[in-house]
Amino acid sequence: MDNLTVVGKPVTRIDADEKVTGEAVYGYDLVLPNMVYGKVLFSPKAHAKIKRINTDKARQYPGVVAVVTGKDAPWIHGESIRDKPFLAQDKVRYIGEPVAAVAAVDEDTAEAAVRLIEVEYEDLPAYTSPEDAARMDAVAIHENFASYRKMPFITPGAGPNVCEHFKLRTGDVEQGFREADVVLEERYSVPIIQHAAMEPHSAHAQVDPTTGRVTIWVANDAPFRALHEITEALDVPKEQVRFINPLQGGGFGSKGGLKVEPVAVALAYKTNGRPVRVKFNREETFISTLTRHGAIVHVKSGVKKNGAITAREMTIYWNGGAYAEKSPTVCIRGSLPAPGPYRIPNVKVDGYAVYTNVPVAGSFRGYGIPQGAWAVEQHTDELARRLGMDPLAFRMQNVFADGDTAYWGEELHSVGLKETLQKAADAIEWGKKIDSMPGSRVKGLKIGKGLACIQKPTRSPTTSSAGVIVNAKGEASVLAGTVEIGQGCNTILCQIAAEELKMPFDKVRSASLDTDVIPYDASTTSSRSTYHMGNAVKGAAIDAREKLAVLAAPMLEAKKEELAFADGKIFLKHQPEMALTVGEVVRRKFGPEGTVRGDASYTYELAKDLDLETGHSDNASAFYMYATQAAVIAVDEETGRARLLRMAAAHDVGKAINPLNCAAQIEGGLAMGIGSALHEHLVIDQNGKVRNPSFLDYHLVTALDLPEMIPIIVECPEPQGPYGAKGLGEPGLAPTPAAIGNAVADAIGARVYDLPLSPERIFWVIQEKKKGKAA
Amino acid sequence: MKRPEPLEIFQPTSLKAASTLVKEQGPGGRFLAGGTDLVIAVKEKGYKPKYVVDLKRIPGLTGIRVEKDGSVTIGALTTMHEVETSPVVLNKYPFLARSAAEVGSVQIRNRATIGGNMANATPSADVAPALIALEAKAKISGLNGERTISLEELFRGPGQTNLAPEEILTAIVIPPASSGLRGDYIKFSPREMMDLAYVGVAVALDLHDGKQCRKARIALGAVSPTPMRARRAEALLENQTVTEELAEKAGAEAAAESKPISDVRSSADYRREMVRVNTKRALLNAVAGEPAFWVERRDRRY
Repeated sequence: MDNLTVVGKPVTRIDADEKVTGEAVYGYDLVLPNMVYGKVLFSPKAHAKIKRINTDKARQYPGVVAVVTGKDAPWIHGESIRDKPFLAQDKVRYIGEPVAAVAAVDEDTAEAAVRLIEVEYEDLPAYTSPEDAARMDAVAIHENFASYRKMPFITPGAGPNVCEHFKLRTGDVEQGFREADVVLEERYSVPIIQHAAMEPHSAHAQVDPTTGRVTIWVANDAPFRALHEITEALDVPKEQVRFINPLQGGGFGSKGGLKVEPVAVALAYKTNGRPVRVKFNREETFISTLTRHGAIVHVKSGVKKNGAITAREMTIYWNGGAYAEKSPTVCIRGSLPAPGPYRIPNVKVDGYAVYTNVPVAGSFRGYGIPQGAWAVEQHTDELARRLGMDPLAFRMQNVFADGDTAYWGEELHSVGLKETLQKAADAIEWGKKIDSMPGSRVKGLKIGKGLACIQKPTRSPTTSSAGVIVNAKGEASVLAGTVEIGQGCNTILCQIAAEELKMPFDKVRSASLDTDVIPYDASTTSSRSTYHMGNAVKGAAIDAREKLAVLAAPMLEAKKEELAFADGKIFLKHQPEMALTVGEVVRRKFGPEGTVRGDASYTYELAKDLDLETGHSDNASAFYMYATQAAVIAVDEETGRARLLRMAAAHDVGKAINPLNCAAQIEGGLAMGIGSALHEHLVIDQNGKVRNPSFLDYHLVTALDLPEMIPIIVECPEPQGPYGAKGLGEPGLAPTPAAIGNAVADAIGARVYDLPLSPERIFWVIQEKKKGKAA
Repeated sequence: MKRPEPLEIFQPTSLKAASTLVKEQGPGGRFLAGGTDLVIAVKEKGYKPKYVVDLKRIPGLTGIRVEKDGSVTIGALTTMHEVETSPVVLNKYPFLARSAAEVGSVQIRNRATIGGNMANATPSADVAPALIALEAKAKISGLNGERTISLEELFRGPGQTNLAPEEILTAIVIPPASSGLRGDYIKFSPREMMDLAYVGVAVALDLHDGKQCRKARIALGAVSPTPMRARRAEALLENQTVTEELAEKAGAEAAAESKPISDVRSSADYRREMVRVNTKRALLNAVAGEPAFWVERRDRRY
């Protein structure tokens, strides 16, 4: 089939110019006529009853247009569990929860007025640790949890704050441990971190005073899901709300669901038709939007001397924060494959998503995979070490391959994992020891290598729909609900449309996203877009092409079957000079302003839903992504500082629709993963207060922290994917910390169980090891 | 970012006028130099000075010049970029240039001034340890004329100096460099760049024949309320040959002298350990005349 002309080619992103020149307009930049400016009063308490709110002074402040509290906005939203008020109702559950808001003629006035709102609180006990909050005798953070509307697959746990208890049961782990020659039990932890997208959160909202219709301008990664969530909360028909999606300046999972939208809408109902802008600054984004789940991961495994894994038991506590958000599904989709991509006959996993009094956790690039991988991939190295096996060989012996039945009951196909392992290992010259840095006179520098692999599912079942419109000028536009969050989807989808329409790539563009006109899409999450929306756009383009062929046949005095498409033309297969341009066909039929439209929808359906007692499923995911990353690191033993020298990342993408974009995704993922490995940690004290809500002390990596990066594309085609494609967005950072952790352990001869791998943490581990040796 | 409240800004053209202004306007004002600390404090941290006196219209406060006696005067409004790239500084006190290069980013260094940085009195300021190790002096102008104190005495606490409200830091004066002067500055922070010093160590040694230490100065940043000298560690080195063993001892002594705190960045214990290690390294680097230990970040910077 490889006579592809656009797909598989490293074309330049269609949005490159506008972005590098700064011309692109993002959600945060948006200015609407006659708009007012919103500011939020955030809770200073982690868990407290609201005794009294007095807004009189704020209302009287000159320039104030509206003041709202929970009383004015008695709506509750929530994707998985409907538990989150637009503005706090009677109590607050984390520091940073919106309590009240002001709209005013300018931002300074709004800020001055919001400070005049007086709130009296009565403190309640607050939890920051999910293990504490999960106890049976813990104080309930949500007193009315039992009455909340929940998605049907949610299974709350026994304790009052456990909003999801996921169970995986395969075989008999106790029997497996008895059969093992070596049993190892360890505890790992991952701190809370944040997405830190370059563009902070914002939303604009307007309520039409005559029709009551709500328009929301927001860079949301799933406008149709947000539309559902907000109309459900407001109890209005879907037609009453419209989402317009400006460009998004990065999201990484933080801009799904409802974040700033509820406050903007609550204010917009009170401004008599004037649009409201609510923009969070960096500190507000840190404390009030979304984080990645901190996790505590217990893992116990049994292995035989011959390297076979007999059993694995895991308990994972996911720190969900004050509201459920996507915690239940992160818990399910992160806990299910947490034991890793290995053949294990006996597996038991308990995943607990737990309410606590810290900022809300939710989706984050990787959706629960990085937390499990941090534990299991280092645990894998520890097992190999105890068996005297090479970690790569141990993995090669145990990893999934085509035809294997995974421990959740699904038969796997298109498994490119071994190829990623081999290629990543080769790229760092696995097995070749490096004793010192070339040309360095440094003493006490230890060099180590490590690798880690992952398997990542995608959200299933889901639907994507698309339209393709061809006009009389021979141009096409793609109508797709996939959001350009920086990942390059518009380029990929236009490549697919151009390929199927056989039109030049530069004649195909993406339509902007407005839920009034764009067909439905589930979400721009879970690395699902190339596969799902790619299939939908491919179908829509084929539909348009078929319609064009029907129109062109009489014009060319031929049968439809005799026609072929190339270079924007329709022609007779056996007589190529008998040709019409695509535009000419449209024009002759419908005139110079005419169009031809194709449509298609793609749904991946599950044969059988997840079994809630065993966690088993015949096909838990539309496809799986496989990746291995390998690191070479130098650790300065006297200070604990680790500096990466090289990282290779081999990713099975099925088929690279755009190899250039794939390599960039891998490098971007690596950079983010390196940050989460070496630096990132949202420090939350015992009172639930974020201590480092700024880039001064929340350290992202800079270009200088990055090593030589080697992206490697592996193509093990997925039969159902467009041209064989899978996904790539999330895995880029998933194995990174574990690969680095394994390299650090190789370098210093001791294991670091907690992230981040800061100089101080590594330093103390080295000191402990020295003490142990001395004793 | 909040737009600052309107505030009164004065732009005097002489030192005397500036001091007189402050005397007249009373307490609660603030001098403005590069603005890299002050503007952020006003815009993002809710700091509200009653008025601001911009010093940039006053002539004679910029530039680096060698005096007749061989000492070097650096005007208070000289930017970090100028200090970092000055041939005089690079030639006489290369580690001072390096410490200036450690500040913020290129954009910040183009704007931030050495005098502003000193008068802001942040304990982690990168150039302070290097200047103190060089026994730099602070030239101060007030209503009753000029006075000169040692730079070390300028600092009183975090964000506090011993300047009277109307006094202006006009220049930093570095004594003549002896032929045996060798030094080093190590900034220790988790991130390679764009980070604050968790520990800063500067050493300046006067070596006889490149070996015997006639005089040693060790200054530490970020490990006490003000940049500090490690005098007991210095005493261990004087009139000795700096060996690895002695450097190790001096490092341990400096660590014992330091008074770090635990905060969100680091524990006090770790900071003390890093004083120990980095003092040792800075001493050995100075003696070797080139970095003998792992180069933190000198090969790449922005």
